[in-house]
Amino acid sequence: MTMKKRTKSILKSYLVSGPSLLLIALIVVFPILYTFFISLTNMSVYHWFDFTVIGLDNYWRALFVFDSGFLSALLATVLWTAVNMVIQLVIAFVLASLLNVKKLRLRKLYKTLLMFPWAMPGYVSILLWKTGMFNSEFGLLNQWMEALGHEAVRWLSTDVSAFICCTVVNLWLALPFMIMIMDGALQSIDSSYYESALLDGASWLERTRYITIPSIKPIIAPAVIITVFTTFKQFDVVYLLTQQMGARTGSNFHTILTYAYENAFVTNNYGYSSAISIIIFLLMLAFSARFKLAGEETP
Amino acid sequence: MKKRTRERIGLTALNVFFIAVCFVTLIPILYALSVSFSGTNSLLSSDFSFIPRDFTLDNYIAVFTGEDIMTWFGNSIVLAAATVAISLLVSVPAAYCFSRRRFPGRKLVLRWLVLLNSFPAILSMFAVYRLLQPMGLINHRLGLIIVYTGTMAVFSLWNMKGYFDTIPLDIEEAARIDGATDLQVVTRIVMPLAKPSVIVTALMVLIYVWNEYIYATTFMTGEANYTLAAGLYALQATEMSGSWPIFAAASIVVSLPVLIIFFLCQKHMTSGLTAGGVKG
Amino acid sequence: MKKLLSLLLAATMVFALSACGAQEVDTDSIVIWHDKEDAVAEVLQNYLNEALPELNITLEKKTSLTDSLKLVGNDPSSAPDMFIFAHDKIGVFAEMGILAPIEELLPEGELANYLEMTTEAATYKGTVYQLPLYFETLLFMYNRRYMTDDMVPSTTEELYSYMEANTGRDRYGFVEQHSTAYYSAAWIHGFGGEIISADGVPFPDADAVKEALRYHLKFVQLMPGETEYSTVNTLFLEGKADSTIGGPWMVPSARDAGIDLGIAPMPTVDETGEPLAPYSGVQGVHVLTFAAEDKPDSVKAVLEALCAPEVGIELALASGCAPARAECYDDESVANDELVQAMRSTAEIAVPMPNIPEMDVMWTVMSTLLTDVNLSGRDVDESFDSALSNAESLIANMQ
Repeated sequence: MTMKKRTKSILKSYLVSGPSLLLIALIVVFPILYTFFISLTNMSVYHWFDFTVIGLDNYWRALFVFDSGFLSALLATVLWTAVNMVIQLVIAFVLASLLNVKKLRLRKLYKTLLMFPWAMPGYVSILLWKTGMFNSEFGLLNQWMEALGHEAVRWLSTDVSAFICCTVVNLWLALPFMIMIMDGALQSIDSSYYESALLDGASWLERTRYITIPSIKPIIAPAVIITVFTTFKQFDVVYLLTQQMGARTGSNFHTILTYAYENAFVTNNYGYSSAISIIIFLLMLAFSARFKLAGEETP
Repeated sequence: MKKRTRERIGLTALNVFFIAVCFVTLIPILYALSVSFSGTNSLLSSDFSFIPRDFTLDNYIAVFTGEDIMTWFGNSIVLAAATVAISLLVSVPAAYCFSRRRFPGRKLVLRWLVLLNSFPAILSMFAVYRLLQPMGLINHRLGLIIVYTGTMAVFSLWNMKGYFDTIPLDIEEAARIDGATDLQVVTRIVMPLAKPSVIVTALMVLIYVWNEYIYATTFMTGEANYTLAAGLYALQATEMSGSWPIFAAASIVVSLPVLIIFFLCQKHMTSGLTAGGVKG
Repeated sequence: MKKLLSLLLAATMVFALSACGAQEVDTDSIVIWHDKEDAVAEVLQNYLNEALPELNITLEKKTSLTDSLKLVGNDPSSAPDMFIFAHDKIGVFAEMGILAPIEELLPEGELANYLEMTTEAATYKGTVYQLPLYFETLLFMYNRRYMTDDMVPSTTEELYSYMEANTGRDRYGFVEQHSTAYYSAAWIHGFGGEIISADGVPFPDADAVKEALRYHLKFVQLMPGETEYSTVNTLFLEGKADSTIGGPWMVPSARDAGIDLGIAPMPTVDETGEPLAPYSGVQGVHVLTFAAEDKPDSVKAVLEALCAPEVGIELALASGCAPARAECYDDESVANDELVQAMRSTAEIAVPMPNIPEMDVMWTVMSTLLTDVNLSGRDVDESFDSALSNAESLIANMQ
């Protein structure tokens, strides 16, 4: 290829993807840069509109937030992400595979019903779980416990039980999306692969391991990676279920974001809070640099 | 004969399994449904049953008469439709480009697009405001559409790119040899083959817009500009005087359009690849 | 990549700048944000339309009003001219510099006609930033079906023995949002403590707070293990709790639920002889700085119109608000409203919520402290010490 042609081709590539990249630059990248900028200023209630650049001061102060409480929140968040992702992937894979059983007539109905949790705004679902299911006085779970002759339980009051309850709700919210992605990916596998594998006498496990998983991996990878980040950054589920002001339940389970919220963001000190956001961002970048992004190397 | 019986038992078991799974999944929803049909003014009640005791449609009537729900519905539809359209319009070419073309910076951009997701966007509101304000897009639908499209752009690009990657190049090359232009290749060959992924992406964008309320309540003022999710949020935020059954009824009303669209979309979500048998 | 980004950003800037045109000020139109119930907004809107037909006044309901104001507070193209909100954010907004002092916009001496508690609440660092409209306080409410008028406890110990005698088997003698800062303040005040002092010192009297927490704990043990509004509200409305401490917003739903509602003065703490003194919230009109500069005449007209006693009277009748203006209580129908009168007399002991910015973090600190003590069963001294150091570091980090 000549130099000129090459330049033209590159230009064309960027031109075609330009609108999309521009939007991403505006709505995703700009806030990051802006947050970084604010983290260098003294923007707080006392200098809300007349803030000035003060350098790295906020970062020095932010380091104090990273105490033992932060460390345990970080560990809890890693555990939370791992547990949620593993369960989510396994359940979604099993359900999506079963939904693809050939003669299942009511497939469409089941799929639609399973999508229901996704069709509601998150805060509505979380509210339904909190007051409808987990409430210790009236919640459905305790009504069942009592009907079975057990004592009422305060489901959200201890760290461990709150962790489990939050996981249940998070899975409930996230599974529809994962099932849909898995389902789509499974359908893209050429059935002829299976036919020849069956002729070779491959078992279900072997077919799953050698055909299904390698085939869907590149397709679901982006969705899975994005979900990992969303899970890691989860705020709403944990905050609204257990930590909301005026409705705390007594559990001390924090993700890094709920921890940062309570220990920094509430100060209204925007420069300081921004510094903490940026540090969390860098921390997560460091984490993700460790595992190679699957799906990045594609044909 | 024996094989068929075994198959039938298997299918029955599978159906029973799915009915059970759906029931368990839907417990909170059934709960809301029952509350929404009940006459007593409480989300909480000490003697709950899935079949409401004093059955009434009053709450639904209240939703449709008391609140400006049809206006909100209209706003949601406009926002969702516009966002989905623009999202696809910008993301399909970009995804195709990143899937097929090789150019410097491609890998870097792809990698960073994923990594950007790790930014905790909890404080982004200010930046977005600083962005929209000079453009005069505060309290303007276009502002929300830009925010929504931008937020979903990374997912849209990656998701469709992943799918495009699985479409064999030979099909396109065959078309090119027959003299098809780039545009024709994309619209006539790639799009039909990638339909499931495009629909999934569109649905994802739709559901995001449908359920989003933070930007909608912050950047839009006045009840006439609310979306359904924002209106519902406002209903819930005034818990001091709020009525739970009406709130429950409203939640159900908000979710139904999404479910209907999802149900209708399903037949297009089966892969063009396996159905068409074009793979060479 | 870097080049591309900078190119994109530059393109945006150009777009942004070109879209930025000159804005004209329409001095005859006034936009007022609020987040109040429809009944209140309607009264105000109708009244203002009638009183000032020459102005174009719109009351716009805004969810998450304070967050939005933090964004747009100094931007005339997106912000309202005025807003109606409780007084407790005055400090934050005044420090941000978006609130106009209200006194110079009012006829001279006008504020003398208001209940002292309300103007005190509206004052931050010696300047008044809010024209009070009405106020809310928590009230002791009981269900006459279970707690007759002669059983109403006048001291906390009487309340405790009532609870002991009437709690159990799915019934509660008394419920409240026990682990919520707003509600617990009444107990802390009853022991002479404070959540934060006027000059921003957290828990100025540590022993009073600890004593209150310890004493309150035995009450919590006879209450449900949930502290949120809907549980407490439902228990009372379903007749499963005989009495509660709640806000005036509970009254309409209690009446709808057919409860024979009694309202009594707050019980006094036996040990100190002081009543449980709840926080009060004063709802009023705030003016944004730019509006006071750009359209002073319209702003003054609106404020003056809102000073009329009719406004308070109509609000009291329409939705049981306790007017901030003293002479409203001379009106016969207001004088006969049990709810309004109860708040009027609670106003004597009620403590206005602190309006300093530091209070913002105390809500979180306090609610952690309360859940630690009440719901997680942690030691009072230990929890208090960690709450205090948390409060100190949060306040230090506000600057």
